Amino acid sequence: MAMRGLTVFIADIRNCRVRELEEKRINKEMANIRTKFKDGNLSGYDKKKYVCKLLYMYILGWDIDFGHMEAVNLISSPKYSEKQIGYLGITLLMHENSDLVRLVVNSIRKDLDDNNEIHNCLALHAIANIGGREMAESLASDVHRLLVSPNSKSFVKKKAALTMLRLFRKHPDVIPAPDWAERITNIIDDYDLGVCLSVTSLITALAQQYPEAFMLAIPKAIMRLHKVIVERDFSADYVYYKIPIPWLQVKLLRLLQYFPPTEDPNMSEMLHNVLQTIINNSQETPRNVQHNNAQNAILFEAINLAIHLDCESDIVRQATNILARFILSKETNVRYLGLETMAHLAAVTDELDEIKKHEETIILSLRDKDISVRRRGLDLLYSMCDVSNAKTIVSELIRYLHIADYALREEMVLKIAIMTEKYATEHSWYVDVILQLISSAGDHVGEEVWYRVVQIVTNHENLQEYSAKMVLHYMRSPHCHENMLKVGGYILGEYGHLIANLPGASPIEQFNTLHARFGLCSLATRALLLSTYIKFINLFPEIKGAILAVFNQYRHVLDAELQQRACEYMAIATMPTDDLLQTVCEEMPQFPERESALLSRLNEKTGQTEDKRTWNIGGKDSNEKTPANLLAATKERNENGSVDDLVNSVSNTSISAAGGENGAAAPANGSAAPPTPAAPATKAGLTWKDQLAPGYENWYNRLRDGADGILYEDSILQIGIKSEYHGHLGRLAIYFGNKTHTQLNSFAVSVEAPEGLVVANSHTLATSIGPSTQIQQLYSLECQQIVTEVPLIRISYQAGSTQSIYLKLPVLMSRFIEPIQLASADFFGRWKQIGGAPREVQEIIKVPGKIELERARSILVNHRLGICENVDPKPGNFVATGVFNTSLSGKVGCLLRLEPNHETNMYRLTIRTTSDVVSKHLKEILHTALLYKPAPSTR
Amino acid sequence: MTFINFIIIFNRQGKIRLTRWYQYMTDKQKSSLSQDVVTQILARKRGMCNILELEGRRETRGKAIYKRYASLFFCFGIDWNDNELSGLEVLHKYVECLDQYFGNVCELDIIYNYSAAYQVMDEMLLGGHAQETNKKVVVKHCKGFDKLEESDSIVHNLRASNIA
Repeated sequence: MAMRGLTVFIADIRNCRVRELEEKRINKEMANIRTKFKDGNLSGYDKKKYVCKLLYMYILGWDIDFGHMEAVNLISSPKYSEKQIGYLGITLLMHENSDLVRLVVNSIRKDLDDNNEIHNCLALHAIANIGGREMAESLASDVHRLLVSPNSKSFVKKKAALTMLRLFRKHPDVIPAPDWAERITNIIDDYDLGVCLSVTSLITALAQQYPEAFMLAIPKAIMRLHKVIVERDFSADYVYYKIPIPWLQVKLLRLLQYFPPTEDPNMSEMLHNVLQTIINNSQETPRNVQHNNAQNAILFEAINLAIHLDCESDIVRQATNILARFILSKETNVRYLGLETMAHLAAVTDELDEIKKHEETIILSLRDKDISVRRRGLDLLYSMCDVSNAKTIVSELIRYLHIADYALREEMVLKIAIMTEKYATEHSWYVDVILQLISSAGDHVGEEVWYRVVQIVTNHENLQEYSAKMVLHYMRSPHCHENMLKVGGYILGEYGHLIANLPGASPIEQFNTLHARFGLCSLATRALLLSTYIKFINLFPEIKGAILAVFNQYRHVLDAELQQRACEYMAIATMPTDDLLQTVCEEMPQFPERESALLSRLNEKTGQTEDKRTWNIGGKDSNEKTPANLLAATKERNENGSVDDLVNSVSNTSISAAGGENGAAAPANGSAAPPTPAAPATKAGLTWKDQLAPGYENWYNRLRDGADGILYEDSILQIGIKSEYHGHLGRLAIYFGNKTHTQLNSFAVSVEAPEGLVVANSHTLATSIGPSTQIQQLYSLECQQIVTEVPLIRISYQAGSTQSIYLKLPVLMSRFIEPIQLASADFFGRWKQIGGAPREVQEIIKVPGKIELERARSILVNHRLGICENVDPKPGNFVATGVFNTSLSGKVGCLLRLEPNHETNMYRLTIRTTSDVVSKHLKEILHTALLYKPAPSTR
Repeated sequence: MTFINFIIIFNRQGKIRLTRWYQYMTDKQKSSLSQDVVTQILARKRGMCNILELEGRRETRGKAIYKRYASLFFCFGIDWNDNELSGLEVLHKYVECLDQYFGNVCELDIIYNYSAAYQVMDEMLLGGHAQETNKKVVVKHCKGFDKLEESDSIVHNLRASNIA
């Protein structure tokens, strides 16, 4: 960037000691540059120089409203230095909604396609830093190409991954992530740790949106962690203060928190090893602050993952001890994070005892000198609160409320209100605390807090008298907050009669207490109090006179709402009979039970960031609805939308009770519409079935009758299977042979089993196959219900690009049949018992060529049916029986007769089973088998 | 996942030296947020933690992690539930890379060679995520860019002398 003009300019600006001078110098320079640009005909060098000057002014915070075009021109310069400044210019001066984006898209595409990697990089930087919709739509596939192409250099791949991430965050709809899932996931295995780091960031974002498509990332992440942490296999350049690439470790540990715990026992053992090693490493005393931070960054992330996997595990117990030490640490960062992580634990575990031991320390943290720490302390206290310690915690918090930072108070009030409601064991305690809160926290009490009090008091009869007494008491204190007047007005209007006989609480005294402050409150409160007064007329006819005087006075007030109320109430109160008054002022019915508006308000306050949270601040129950894993994420949306709802219903009720036009105090209809479950994430593009390897039938059909042999073969891979079955169980061994002389990498196999059939693998398969080597995978099968589909298998590996092979596994329903032999009488007895359609199916099958009895016999035997000799009177007719086994839906008896007709070369097949589904499917299996003519072997 | 929303580098007097915004904000939002962050950080005492919780409107709710190096404060804005320590060490790594690139970096280097400081930043961080943490690789690439630039300027000087 060596340019004399620029250096002089920067020095000039630095010499301006006062802002006015700086402004003068800037204006002069801007005018100068403007003229230069207007004149045109500038050399590339000059353009670059002036753009640089503008950028410097931009950094200093001055508004730059020209020069964009010159930066755009520089991008297409053949000289690197000019191109680079051009790109820097547009990334600083342009934003995603800028009109000029359209102008640069083409230049950027040209640089993406360029053979020069440096140009690719500059273009990627620009997309990653600007990235509007226009760019996303036109350039996403180019970026993807650079990411997955085997020819891309590592430093291009890294940038492409993060660029795609940026595009995805902004415009997720533009990225067909599920279709790209596999190739992207495979890059976790890249030998370059920088590439792995970048792509992990990308996957973390994509997987939050499409958890199913990215399931493959689980084993990959675990294996990579294991490699780095346990096997200590990494390049020395990536060691940061004795710790191998801490950022990658953190990211992988975080990634796993977005998935449900893995069910593969080998994987979970590997992961356990990883976590244990991290915990053990943390015992080492760090050498300096960097070492310490890096070590703790990993440790905290590992603890969060351990909590996510199983919050009662041994690892978590060890972690709790470490955290207990941390919250006492001298170092503020460690205290802060210790409290934060402990809050995470408290939010999900049942076992609060360990945490409660440190209650005192945590309460002390409310008085820490650092507000960041105080906030964490507050959150932790809120999360660890339960019935046993609610009183202590709530009273501490109320005490602290008076000295707390203003920024903290509203949230504290909400939290205190929630805890009090949730953990109250005595009604009086609830009322005491909440009223104390309203009276002392004043302005920090949101509307929803007193709405909630009204709801609870209305719904609990035994609270009503006590609260009426207490509100009256509070309203008499000299500093009565307006909120208190609102609660007081409402409660006395409803339940004032319950205390009317107490000394000092006679009707007129109640009225005077309220009315003393009437003139000082806001219009809304006055409107509410007018409603209280009309209720008083109904409850205490003896003070009607005093109240009518107030109504009369307010009939002429300027505010329309107050005036209307006064007039209407006046009219109701002065009717000849009290019928309408009584109906209007009937006692409020109970509110329907629903989620507390306070919780919704709190959730709103602590709002969700883009990142899907794995947990929420709060006790265990506040986390039950939040997604423990992303597959359940859709549930989350059901929680929204209750705030307004509730508030409306509360305010509607009080108004309609007061308004009187409706004639009855009907509560607003409280039944919220049932939450509509969000539509399930659309499944990734094609289903497996549509992508079966061409020509798979040749091998598959040969194996349909249960033989062992080759399932698939091409120039690279040979796949063979062996199987055995017993009852509803089976075992399947699949062999994968690498026929080439190079190693096959990123090798992965997954099986999609139909519903009712469980296919489990015995161990984790290696991710690579050496040259001319064979590896084996064992599957255990369990037939739980009647299955009519066969499982599909998908094999993928890296050979230049990712290759995927989709195949059917010959695990037919008939595999789970056990042959039996029946005598003639038994057979026909049962045959009759089963009866005709739908449990009987019959089909005439014409076979190509001549009927071969031996073949028919072997087909029946291979499909595991027992042939009963001498049952059918006509020799040559087959009678066969078997029992189809399932572990959950019981057994199904299968009987069949196969009658060959030699003249016409036709079979008549009749099947009767105790299940119409089995009958139909068994018929199809045998039909296919009888028609099948093995192609003459080509070898 | 350590997503960085913004980077602000400023000195003890509150003068901003470098900014990078990885999330769209209007100029007004940018200047009010950076003013806010700078004032709050300068008001914090030594011994407090390196994490500042940013209250406020939903979209800007997050944390600022910061560290002081000589006269300069380096500050990253991160998401609310990001790993703070991991972010802090990315920040430290950036400073290490600058140090290696400039050879004992000081405020003046960043003032006069801001484009190089951006270049180092873009080699390490892209779109708000760490892309490369290997100091050698980062500095190697940046020096490589400088060579390209030099060759440009040699050509330029040659031409200039020819014209003369």
